[in-house]
Amino acid sequence: MDILQGEIFRYYDHFVIPFNIGVWVLLAVIVYKYVRWFSRLAPADKSAVGRGLLSRRVFGAMGEVVSESLLHRRIFRVDPLLGYMHMSLALGWFLLIAVGWVEASIHLTEGFAPLHAHVFYKYFAPAPTGATAEKVISNLMDLLLLFVLSGVALAWFKRLRSRALGMKRTTKHVLGDKIALSALWLIFPVRLLAESAQAGLKGIPSFLTGNLGGWMVSAFGEGFVAGFSVVAWWVYSIVLGVFFVSMPFSRYMHIFTEIPLIFLRRFGLRSGEQSSAFDHFQIESCSRCGVCIDPCQLQADAGIDNVQSVYFLRDRRYHNLSGEVASNCLMCGRCEVRCPVGIELNTLRLNSREKFSALPADDRYAYMAGSDRSSGSGRVGYFAGCMTLLTPKILRSMERIFDAAGEQVWWADREGGVCCGRPLKLSGEIEAARRLMDHNSQLFSNHRITTLVTSCPICLKVFREDYDLGSVEVLHHSEYILRLIRQGRLELGRQDAVYTYHDPCELGRGSGIYEQPRDVIRCAGRLVEASENRSDARCCGASLANLEIGEAAQQRIAASLSAHYKATGADTLVTSCPLCKKTIVRSFGDVRDISEVVAGALV
Amino acid sequence: MTGKVIIIGGGVAGLQAAATLRELGLTPVIVEKTTHIGGKLNDWHKLFPSLTPAAEVLAELKGRLDGAEILTGTEAVEIAPGSVTLTDGRRMEADAVIVASGFEVFPAELKEEYGYGLYRNVYTTVDIERMFNEGRVRLRDGSAPRRIAFLHCVGSRDEKVDQCHCSRVCCITGVKQAMEMKALFPEAEVYNFYMDIRMFGPGYEEMYREAQERCNIHFIRGRISEAGETQDRRVQIKAEDTLIGRPLKMTVDMLVLIVGMKAGRSNEALARCPGISLRPSRFADPADSFCGNVCSGAPGIFYAGTVTAPKNVGESINEGAAAAVKAAEYIRSKG
Repeated sequence: MDILQGEIFRYYDHFVIPFNIGVWVLLAVIVYKYVRWFSRLAPADKSAVGRGLLSRRVFGAMGEVVSESLLHRRIFRVDPLLGYMHMSLALGWFLLIAVGWVEASIHLTEGFAPLHAHVFYKYFAPAPTGATAEKVISNLMDLLLLFVLSGVALAWFKRLRSRALGMKRTTKHVLGDKIALSALWLIFPVRLLAESAQAGLKGIPSFLTGNLGGWMVSAFGEGFVAGFSVVAWWVYSIVLGVFFVSMPFSRYMHIFTEIPLIFLRRFGLRSGEQSSAFDHFQIESCSRCGVCIDPCQLQADAGIDNVQSVYFLRDRRYHNLSGEVASNCLMCGRCEVRCPVGIELNTLRLNSREKFSALPADDRYAYMAGSDRSSGSGRVGYFAGCMTLLTPKILRSMERIFDAAGEQVWWADREGGVCCGRPLKLSGEIEAARRLMDHNSQLFSNHRITTLVTSCPICLKVFREDYDLGSVEVLHHSEYILRLIRQGRLELGRQDAVYTYHDPCELGRGSGIYEQPRDVIRCAGRLVEASENRSDARCCGASLANLEIGEAAQQRIAASLSAHYKATGADTLVTSCPLCKKTIVRSFGDVRDISEVVAGALV
Repeated sequence: MTGKVIIIGGGVAGLQAAATLRELGLTPVIVEKTTHIGGKLNDWHKLFPSLTPAAEVLAELKGRLDGAEILTGTEAVEIAPGSVTLTDGRRMEADAVIVASGFEVFPAELKEEYGYGLYRNVYTTVDIERMFNEGRVRLRDGSAPRRIAFLHCVGSRDEKVDQCHCSRVCCITGVKQAMEMKALFPEAEVYNFYMDIRMFGPGYEEMYREAQERCNIHFIRGRISEAGETQDRRVQIKAEDTLIGRPLKMTVDMLVLIVGMKAGRSNEALARCPGISLRPSRFADPADSFCGNVCSGAPGIFYAGTVTAPKNVGESINEGAAAAVKAAEYIRSKG
């Protein structure tokens, strides 16, 4: 018993208590969360994890953990200084722990050294021997501390001038995050003071803590520094304890969630149209860095500041997500492409909407039964979609294009048809959407088409991702037109016109189609690019995914977009989405669908 | 104190303002952006509900000008209390300014689903007035229409084109033109697709009843959702008859879009003047809706006519007189 007591209390002082409480609370909560999330994973997901763990993908995941959780490579792409700030805190602290562990293991040789003995090593360290290895390692520890402190200094600076770190706006934090953040910012300055005082008292030489400590002793006297060091170690332990306790309940849970997320993602797990246990891994991986705020046009153009992904995920995590926040999103995906953690923001937004939706009455869609107003016949089917039927210039241009190419076309809905289902999906009405999708699938199958062309990217996305159309090839009309041109079935006369191109969200970020429309436009005239294009292109504002904002806010977004395109000096704005066209035309003037440009240039 | 008042806009409100100012012994100067005064009255054929020729009303207004100075082909690019800057950079001083710059006709092309400018036989009410003035109302191929559909509220009460306001005069315009068409083509079937019929003026309701009872014009409550063109260049329309709750499809020879009033583009320039504010509809917001409805928030700047909201011709003329009196009072109070 005495031996045991001696062992445990060999490296002990009362000030380590707050730290120990913090660590054990943290550990307990994390284990609880992990067990809960993993046990609730869908059976298919569990077996994917089992297979994944035995595969080479583990190594890929480990690499990604290093590059993202420690180096924060993706944040460097947002802004190098911002990247450095995150890296210095993550990598710096990690190395402090790792090298500190080595240092403590070498020197604390007498008996069992508990965790706090490693963390508060300078306090428990034996008198210095003057060995070279000892000097090297203590200087290295100083260097790492300086590295982390530089990050903390940048974080403070960011509060004052976020633009210098590439962010116009930063996250508005809740109280819990503010407490955790304050503790985190205090940890390293306090550690510097505590370690310096101790180094001064013990005469441990090193360039930072050693010299600072030496100066403190010579300036204030040994007695004062000894008293000061006791206070400093207590404060250091308390801020660590506070930070650790707040970690699992605050934004800092991301540190422990992103690592399993990276593995699970590599093993093929994804969020789906219905919420699942895997969603927790994504939701709690959000560090609330706020990189998603600046690209949000609702923020920039409509002044809405409580719905951005960072706030949506936070509300969802703490179970106070309102229908208003869930529905107030354009789902343009601009934030998703910039999210440094790669969270599936759109999918999570979408599957949070289901609980606000209602099941349709049984006979709600009875009118569809057996309805088939299609016309014509051919292997190529054309689905205009509701929005194209409301923009008849596109429909008419497609007629001319099909005609010019000599294509036999089956017109699915020229005389009216059933919606593709995506607008309902976007409002969380999954069951209602399913009924429309089943109807259309049956229609396509009845007419034995081999290719399905649509001029609406909204329809395109749902056809490709949610319909089971077997071997039917689904093409956006820009892809189809480009194919006709390349096959020599369409001949275009190049004109003097100068065009700029607007990437529709559902076509660009949504379906990865960026180049085909541009190639088509270049066959008809000169193309000039706006500065924000392709994956960075803005949304027109009228996205069907936003169930909250009114026409006035939509138009403010569109007007800002139009000004952006007018700056290119182009006469005509070309897009390839009927909804974008209809929205932008009010503030730009000459807006045409790509099919109109092609039909107008036919020789 | 020269007693000079600049009137922006030479439409009915501006002309009446000039006439009243002359009667009060002041010196009005009309600034008209087009080449001739008279505004939209030049484009109209007959005015509801009395079917008075627009030209008669215009001639009377012009006859009262009493030598008022008129500048045409120039526009006010900046309006401030006591001065107006014109397109050519010229700055004119005055004791007061009356803004009577009017409205713009809603561009029907924005409702692409109705095919204006795309389908051959889709017209606007403005086109119909022009055809009446030209003395020849015909389809594009020169034939007479046998079935005509009027569609109300194109660019009015339509959130989708950011026109939430009611343009007021379109209901009666649709009824008037339907009756005129019926008179011209007695064999033709004439339909009005509406969501509400708002007959606010004296004699309007009576005209609406007459259209139904005597002229046998059909009124269907339901907006047209979209239009298409048939092989023989007729227009196929899809609508819902909301009174019986059934969708309907109809092919007509002529679709007339009853276009609403859009706030004038020049209101944006006006809004740069301190004290001036616009409503969400972009029409100018008067000082108040009662005693100050021809006053702006800026001293010495007054409103007349549709610069503040959709109005009919009579109301605009009244406001021209009212604004002139207010301007005269203002000048007198300054001494």
